[in-house]
Formats: sequence, C-alpha cells, structure tokens
Amino acid sequence: MSWNDKVFFAIAVAIYGLGMFHAFFLWRRGFRRDDWVLYGVLALGMVLHTVAMAKRGFSLHRCPVNNLYEATAFVMWAIVSGYLVMGLWPRLRFLGAFVSPLLFALGVFAMMPALDAQPQFTGGIVSLHVALIALAYGALGLSFGGSLMYLSQEHDLKFDKLRAIISRLPAIQQLERVMVRLMFCGIVLLTAGLAVSFLGMKAPHGQSFLQDPKVIWSLAVWLFYVGLLVWYRRADHGGHRLAWGNLLGFAFVLLTFWGVNLLSKIHNP
Amino acid sequence: MPIVCLGLNHRTAPVEVRERFAIADKTLPEALARLCADAGAQEAVILSTCNRVELYAATTGDSAALLAALRRFLLADQPEPADGVLYAHAEPQSVQHLFKVASGLDSMILGETEILGQLKSAYEVALQHKRTGPRLNRAFQRAFNVAKLIRTDTNIQRGSVSVASVAVELAEKIFDSLNGRTVMVIGAGDTGEKTARALLSRGAQSVLVSNRSHERAEALAQELGGRAVQFDAWEETFSQIDIIISSTSAPHYVIDRKKLEPLQRRRHRRPLLLIDIAVPRDIEPEVNYLEDVYLYNIDDLHAIADDYLRLRQEEVAKCEAIIAGKAREMLESLRDAPGSMGAARLAFGGE
Repeated sequence: MSWNDKVFFAIAVAIYGLGMFHAFFLWRRGFRRDDWVLYGVLALGMVLHTVAMAKRGFSLHRCPVNNLYEATAFVMWAIVSGYLVMGLWPRLRFLGAFVSPLLFALGVFAMMPALDAQPQFTGGIVSLHVALIALAYGALGLSFGGSLMYLSQEHDLKFDKLRAIISRLPAIQQLERVMVRLMFCGIVLLTAGLAVSFLGMKAPHGQSFLQDPKVIWSLAVWLFYVGLLVWYRRADHGGHRLAWGNLLGFAFVLLTFWGVNLLSKIHNP
Repeated sequence: MPIVCLGLNHRTAPVEVRERFAIADKTLPEALARLCADAGAQEAVILSTCNRVELYAATTGDSAALLAALRRFLLADQPEPADGVLYAHAEPQSVQHLFKVASGLDSMILGETEILGQLKSAYEVALQHKRTGPRLNRAFQRAFNVAKLIRTDTNIQRGSVSVASVAVELAEKIFDSLNGRTVMVIGAGDTGEKTARALLSRGAQSVLVSNRSHERAEALAQELGGRAVQFDAWEETFSQIDIIISSTSAPHYVIDRKKLEPLQRRRHRRPLLLIDIAVPRDIEPEVNYLEDVYLYNIDDLHAIADDYLRLRQEEVAKCEAIIAGKAREMLESLRDAPGSMGAARLAFGGE
C-alpha cells in the first residue's frame, strides 16, 4: 500500500470517527470530567489530516482546494483547527463532542469517489476564493457545534437540572457569545470569499455568475446568515432561536451543497 | 509503638454530651501535658471541634492499656456516658480513622474541608509543645497527604449540598460571571437571605429587597448592603434584575407567566434566574417554558443537593479503598523505618 495523501486522510477520518464514538460516552456521562482524551484524539486526527493536505499540495504544487474533495477536506481542516484553538479553554473543550460527528460525516462525504475529479479550477484568485469560502464554512460549522452545545445545555438547565449542574459545559451566556462570534466570523469570510469571486474572477464565456445555481445558492446562504444575525440583534430574543436557526441553516448547507455543486456549470464544468 | 484513638463525635453523641467533653483551644497545651503524664502516652494530639473530641496517642506499651488510660483521662470529671458514645480504635483502624477524619469522610457534611484545617491546627499545637514523635508525625503528615489525594482523585468534595450554594452553582451555569449582577429578594425569609448572601459573596453587585412589610425589607436590605423596594413596585425595577429569590408566604403566585412575559421583553435577551423557595410556590411553573428564563423551586434545589450528596456517598467506597491502602503502606513503612521529628517538621511546613 502506498502511503499517499488519501490514505492519511482516510486514517484521519477514522480517528474523527473514534472521537465521535468517545463523544457519545462523554454525552452519556453528562460531560462530567474535563476530558483531554477527545481533544488528543482530534489533535491526532488533525495532524494526519494536515499531512494528507500537505502531501497533496506538494505533489501537485498548488494549494489543495481545487475540487470538491479538496474543498471539503479544507473545510474540515478549518473546523478541527478552530476547535483545537478554542479547546485550549477547558470549558470549551467539550465543543469537540459536538463537532466530531460533523467532521466524521464530512470526511465520509469527501471520500466519495466522484468528488476527487480532475482539478476543476486553478489560479491564485480562484484558490483564494475557495479557501475563504472553505474557512467560512469551517467557522459556520464550529458555530453549528456551538449551537448544539447551547441547546443541550439549555435543555439540561430547564429540565435535567442535576445533569446541567454536574456537567463541565460553560455557562449558557458564554455559549451564546461563542455561537454568535463564530457565526459572525463565518459571515465575514463568506462575504470576502464571494466578493473575491465577483471582483476578481470572470465567468466562463457565455455564462453568468448570477445565473449559476451555486452562486445563487451561496448568495441565499449568505443572506440567510446575515438575516439571522440581524434579526437576533434587533429582536428581543436570546440564543434559543438563533441556535435553532443556525442548526437549520447549516443542515441546509450540508444537505444541499453537493447537489447544487452538480447543477453548477461553472463549479462543475 | 502502636497508635490508638479514643473519642466521640456527632454520630455517637448529641451536642449536649459533646459540649461537656470539649477542650478549649487555650487549655490544649495543658491538657496535652496531663494526657502524656497521666495516661503514659509518649506522643499525643487532641482534636476538639464542635463535632468531635478525639485523642490520638502512641505508646511503647500495650494498646489496650493506653486506651483504658485515655478513657480515664477523658472521663476524669464526667459521669460514665451511655454505651456507644465513646469509640476506641487500635491499629490499623486508628490510622484509618485519622485518614477518614482528615478527608471529611467522618464529617457531618460528607467531604467538607473545614475539618482538615482543624486537624492541622490540633497537630501544630501538639508539635509546638513537643508532644508528638516519629509515629504521630508520620501519621498526621500522611493524613494530610491522603486528604489532598482524595480531594483531587475522587468526587467526594464535588458539588454543593446546601440550598444556597446550589443556587450559586446554578447561577454560574447561566451567567458567564456573577460580577455586576443584580439580585432581588422578594420576601424576607431566612433561606432567601442566605442565598442572597451566597450570591453576593461570589461577586453579585447589588441586592434589592421587597417585602409586604417595608420595615422588614429595609432591615434586611441594610444587612445585605442593598436597597429596599416597595412590594407593589418591585416590577418597576425588573429591567435591572438578573436573579430573583422569592420566599413570600403569599397563598397565590407572585410571578406568573402572564406577568413575566411582557416584563422579560424589557430586559433585551438577558437571562433571568428565578429561585422559588416559598411553600406554597410564589412562581408559576409555566414560566420555565419562557425563553431565557430558568426557574428552580425548593424541591429542585433540594433534589440537586441530595443528588450531590448521593454522588459523594457513591465515592465513599473509593475513598475508603484509598485510605485502607495508604494506612497499610504507612504502617508497613513505620515498621521498617520510623521517621524523624525533623523530617516530619519539614514535611509539615511543605503542606
């Protein structure tokens, strides 16, 4: 067996799967102990993931974000890197329990054979566009994890009071702040990624960005998140509705991303 | 040279018996001197707290004889107590008992830490007056180490077992910090006051007190360093409040969903913690379904405190296993190489 980037990536995804398995037990036990095991497991996965991306990047002499497989792997890398930084704060370490299933699901999706096709796009501006968009979905993915954590903590504080008090999850107000900040970062990166495409790239001959399903979809996603955050700031609601909105928004992204990509002639020539 | 222990505690004797045996701090040196002279103990430590009076002693002679002498010392001016009031332990139970006491396993509130400080003070008095030697020095230092080990390696001290401290813990799960929070006490009950004090001690900024009798509200507000609010006007201050502790004797709900919903809108998304310690309840349970509102009644708080206690009790077996192992280890090491007074002092200083 040759130890190419795909093998490293597959091992990394298997490790994320192990993390998800461990997260299930953490959840069953009510997040009682400050647990370094999950953090260590995801850090190991991230190392192998980085090796996979570096191997591919060096072998192709370009930033590995040029097809759907590479872009998905980059989103995952952004999520796990963000988590490892946030996990340095003990109370936020349990975010790993909520993002590990997402990492595993994205990893399995990325390994579907049709996704790793010939490079579908090349060039510095294109790579910048893809990287910014991938980082944006990484931040939104982490925010999704934060929303799950928020709703879990809120449920326990209202209906499973002992579990809430025993767990080492952070205060619900802190979770709300984390969720909002990550969403804001995601929106800023998504705005930048979309702006780069509109300002620095030209649509192929005979096609228009504004008629492309993926561009329309991306603008709709951007509008949804901006609207959600503006509504949250203006209305007198706390994090509960924002968390649900965030969950629905990211679930929509996960469920439709691949399909919309297939429909796009610009993104899937 | 065996270590023995004789004493009585909150489990074996009521307070009216314990208080008769209590030894005041200032008379401890003299009591230690008498204990060594009259009972023939080579080493001795006396622990006297509100919940226990215990004599720890070591002798070159026979354990049974020393225990009998300790009993005579303790009962010198006292009538013979009922059976079961006094307990006596020889090795290894005496050492295990000492470790249990140090770890809070023998305390009224399981796992509490105050006893460790009291034990250290008792030991220090004996050490300063040169009433300890290699055996008791080793036993007490090991007891302090075992207490530390149990605190870090088990959940025996985890969680709150009183209503006020449970309320504080809940507040810390809702607010990122208690600093700057405003607490309102509705009704001037004792538990409400204790809970407000506990919140203030953890950083809450101010207290508003509202009671049907405004004089009582003013008196309590003064005690808590807060401000009294007219009972009919407490809703006007609602936008400032983060935590409400309600303990009135009203026969109906003081706060219900209909009243709270519009008030909550004025607070612009800030969470609200409601602690209802009144019976009958002051706050309609339905308010818990409102967003950003977290309601806990007296049963919730008691249930959490009881669950914590149960969790602590589940840890007892683990603690006892650690204690049995450490006691055995220590007694074996004493048999092989008894420690020195100097080394003991050094180790105690390093605690």
